[in-house]
Amino acid sequence: MSDAPNEPGELRITRIFEARPEVVFECMTTPSHLTHFWGPIGMSTPLEGITIEPRPGGRFETVMINDETGEEYPVRGVFVEFDPPRTFSFTEAGVEGGMVTAIVFNDLGDGRTETVTHQTNVPPMLMSPEAQAGLETSFVKFDAYLATL
Amino acid sequence: MATDPLSQTFAALADPTRREILVRLAKGEATVNELAEPFTMSLQAVSKHLKVLEAAGLISRGRDAQYRPCHFEPGPLEAATDWIAQNRRIWTERFDQLEEHLKRITQEKEKEK
Repeated sequence: MSDAPNEPGELRITRIFEARPEVVFECMTTPSHLTHFWGPIGMSTPLEGITIEPRPGGRFETVMINDETGEEYPVRGVFVEFDPPRTFSFTEAGVEGGMVTAIVFNDLGDGRTETVTHQTNVPPMLMSPEAQAGLETSFVKFDAYLATL
Repeated sequence: MATDPLSQTFAALADPTRREILVRLAKGEATVNELAEPFTMSLQAVSKHLKVLEAAGLISRGRDAQYRPCHFEPGPLEAATDWIAQNRRIWTERFDQLEEHLKRITQEKEKEK
């Protein structure tokens, strides 16, 4: 796993998968695939809770369930872009004033795919590496960072 | 506007002047006058920003009626950074599991051949 440095205003996660973009894109946008990996560790995402309307403006909804407590975490997203196998993005209106998540699928040409996941619309100050490293140190470095805004 | 604590924190932090005020307060408490100094802003305008920060729980004000010094309160900011760290963790674990899933389906396809 490689984490590229965050650009201000974005959470950015870069990964390389051992599969072609068509396969990775299909896995991330098909309920029967999503149910196998969407929930993080300790959470399940049952097939019946997944709705995908594969087009811009279509719904992208999942319900993650905590395996221990049974607590449900619905994610109500709407696709902004849907361009297989290159990219898709979705907004979650309920999260921090409309968080946008965009995933770009780069064909590495050797059967592998690099995905770059961006989340935007979160205030830049919280997304800076300084802010994420910890508050005490972040504030010391912060003057310099603020000067760049 | 959303009123949950996290949204309030994000909203309070959306303004650059309020972020600068917080950076100043993280170094130590200050009065409204001291906070207004570096800005070309009226005391009234600074007070307005302080009210937003106080409502979001990012600062607290002293009881001294004359000075009411402001203190930085790290709690809400920690909650906000926790939220981001948690989000990063979710995506990382999700992708770890996708990696496993891709291995499985690739193996299954090869068996079919």
